[in-house]
Amino acid sequence: MEKMMYGSEKLLEGEKTASLNKQDVLLKGLEILGEYYSLGLERQDFLDDLRYLEVEAEYYAEKLGHIKKKEKAILDIVNDLRLVDDIIQKYNYKKNALIQILLDIQMQVHWIPGHALRWLSTRLNIPLTRIYSIANFYEALSLEPRGAHLIQICTGTACHVRGAAGLVDRVSCILGVEPGQTDSEQLFTLETVHCLGCCALGPVMVVDGQYYSNPSTKQIQGIAASCKVSREKGEDYAQVEFSR
Amino acid sequence: MPRLNSAADLERFRKDTLAKRDPNKLCVTVCSGTGCHAYGCEGVAEAFVNEIKSKNLQAKVDIRKTGCHGFCERGTVVVIFPEEICYLHVKPDDVSEIVQKTLIENKIVDRLLYEDADGQKVVREGEIPFYKHQNRIIFGNNRFIDPKNIDDYIALGGYAALSKALFQMTPKQVLNEVKEANLRGRGGGGFPAGRKWETTRNAAGEPKYVIVNADEGDPGAYMDRSLLEGNPHSVLEGLLIGAYAIGSHEGYIYVRQEYPLALQNTEIAIEKAKEYGLLGKNILGSGFDFDVFIHRGAGAFVSGESSALMSAIEGQVGEPRPKYIHTSVKGLWNKPTCLNNVETWANVPFIINKGADWFKGIGTENSKGTKIFSLVGKINNTGLVEVPMGITLREIIYDIGGGIPNGKRFKSVQTGGPSGGILPESMLDLPVDFDELTKAGSMMGSGGMIVMDENTCMVDTARYYIDFLAHESCGKCVPCREGLRQMLIILNNITTGKGKEGDIELLEELSEFIQEAALCALGKTASNPVLSTIRHFKNEYEAHIKENRCPAGVCKELISYYINEDDCIGCGLCAKNCPTNAISKSKDKIYVIEQDSCIKCGMCAKVCPEKAKAVVVISPRPVSDTAQVTT
Repeated sequence: MEKMMYGSEKLLEGEKTASLNKQDVLLKGLEILGEYYSLGLERQDFLDDLRYLEVEAEYYAEKLGHIKKKEKAILDIVNDLRLVDDIIQKYNYKKNALIQILLDIQMQVHWIPGHALRWLSTRLNIPLTRIYSIANFYEALSLEPRGAHLIQICTGTACHVRGAAGLVDRVSCILGVEPGQTDSEQLFTLETVHCLGCCALGPVMVVDGQYYSNPSTKQIQGIAASCKVSREKGEDYAQVEFSR
Repeated sequence: MPRLNSAADLERFRKDTLAKRDPNKLCVTVCSGTGCHAYGCEGVAEAFVNEIKSKNLQAKVDIRKTGCHGFCERGTVVVIFPEEICYLHVKPDDVSEIVQKTLIENKIVDRLLYEDADGQKVVREGEIPFYKHQNRIIFGNNRFIDPKNIDDYIALGGYAALSKALFQMTPKQVLNEVKEANLRGRGGGGFPAGRKWETTRNAAGEPKYVIVNADEGDPGAYMDRSLLEGNPHSVLEGLLIGAYAIGSHEGYIYVRQEYPLALQNTEIAIEKAKEYGLLGKNILGSGFDFDVFIHRGAGAFVSGESSALMSAIEGQVGEPRPKYIHTSVKGLWNKPTCLNNVETWANVPFIINKGADWFKGIGTENSKGTKIFSLVGKINNTGLVEVPMGITLREIIYDIGGGIPNGKRFKSVQTGGPSGGILPESMLDLPVDFDELTKAGSMMGSGGMIVMDENTCMVDTARYYIDFLAHESCGKCVPCREGLRQMLIILNNITTGKGKEGDIELLEELSEFIQEAALCALGKTASNPVLSTIRHFKNEYEAHIKENRCPAGVCKELISYYINEDDCIGCGLCAKNCPTNAISKSKDKIYVIEQDSCIKCGMCAKVCPEKAKAVVVISPRPVSDTAQVTT
């Protein structure tokens, strides 16, 4: 693990250079990434993967550009990979712990980025296709970035018979997002889930761990507004920790 | 805590724990299951802690955060022992009054008590009709136990069955006892647990595995979660006994990721049991080793199927495989594996403690013991109920559940989750057991019981289940993947007014085919909701297809909301609550819905005051409406 610590020291240097232009930071980041990445890889693989990562880093920087400093994107990738490494170690490099590892990543990063999938594939020596098929199969794993606030509406049978469909319509009409989608500013993700186990409150909506029983239109508008306020104050990035 | 190294150690520890506890000491228990959590039980518990501290009562009063009491409709539930005073709907603001009146002055806070239909107040929890008609065996200890505290479980006689099995019985005897009791799997299938154990025990291959299936995917069912949350040690003890009988030394508990509290409490339970020497190497000094691991499920309904669940534990996609050879012979990593549901395992300690004869005294001829149901939907007392097998649906729905809210008419009850069927009013006197329900075209399932009233559309319900199953189908076998998709298209057509003559027959044909040809139980039972609704409510299907009419007023495309001019009192609540601003005031100071922008969420009808009830649902939609929309 010493070698990895070396990588992280370099990272700090990277952070200091935030005033450099994007291209420089990207290159600097890739250099660090390269070192980090070479630890577990043969030379040729490393070059292939590096090229891939380069593209992804740029894409990632562009995509998240409007909420984060573009320069930070590359460092985030490195941080994600470090996190993945820690998680793999927790499970002792066991291949059959793959789903547990993916769940841990999902819980900490709130989605499963492509670079994490690739990193897992090389680290655990499992074909990427298999990891992708698992990440795609299970509902708890998201391959798309999530919004800062998770809004869940229960569509279990009990809530359904008590009018969950109407609630979904209402909420998606007010927020302007369909179930399963995240708004363009990555503020909300609206999700329907099957049974939260509080059927007595049905139809029920959960926002960041707070339960609302059949919320009124005003309440929903209030929630949306307060999310926007927290965004303006800059409180919500690095994503709100959803209560477990 | 020193390890318990023998049966005598355990007994001594139990006696010491009991001796330290004064049964007459005041104890405030706050239900902390997920249902009450949603009501804010954390705040209530915190308020109690603060209030008791500020009144300096710490020495006189204990506080315990227990598992789910089951009466979720009236959460947060607070019960004060030893008198068992039960307060319902407790909010943090009520706490200071409870502390002052009940704990200090020994009086009762009337307004928080249960009140029956005649206005009679009920003080003791056990006398509330919801509890009085139940037979709480498996679930009963939940309300006494802090699930994070193993001592609470041991004080109530916990792990005595394990000790009895390890020191007074051979594995064979344990197996025979469970077989004799005729314990049937509570997860849905109802397969005799003893026979399953025996198959695994006799199967060739080592090591053997045991698994707790807590992948409770049925929407509207949450009894397994509450059991694991509220009393994880009972499940663990059952699993240990089973492992001893089967000859297994490694077990898995498969818990859904969506149940964080169950996960947390199970983790703590395992840790504590290890610390006490009740899990791990040389359990209670008997020489028997057993270890257990938690596997978090990542949210796939089909992964609750035994072979799919095992694939998931192996770290693969949780898809079922053909079971020419049962998983009890070749399961996890192709080794003999015994998988049972949470509730099944939790039954085992009771059978060992009290004997098969006691167990056989409860229930019907072929279904013994009790069953926990999650009674939800259009019912007054939503909650978890544990009843002896053989009780009628009517008793569950009316005596325990308190009937249908708002004076509506009962229409049907759905049992068995997405694999089950719908039972109409004429079947209310059906005794609830594995065989009777199957005969009636439904099934026991894991215990979801969803009550529906006259305002529930049966076609929409069938569509809801098929939508769920089509989404959850893993896609491995064609009949399930394609068949359900086609059924969903037909049902979508019917509920949107595009149904054709012959659709019902086509649905029946497809159902039959999927039943025959699908690979696993998900597909084989998927058509039950459709077939049973067609069987009992064919007229509703016909109304949708022939008249474009939804008799229950649910299917959005077939209804319109209107405000009756004569009834509108002009309060404006509907306009305030309309998300699309489709409601406006007309010249006559009454409100009018503009049909073009109405999304039919039904909010106006919900908020319209009881005395006015001016918002009505019209189905089929008036011709002028449909014309407007199409233009």
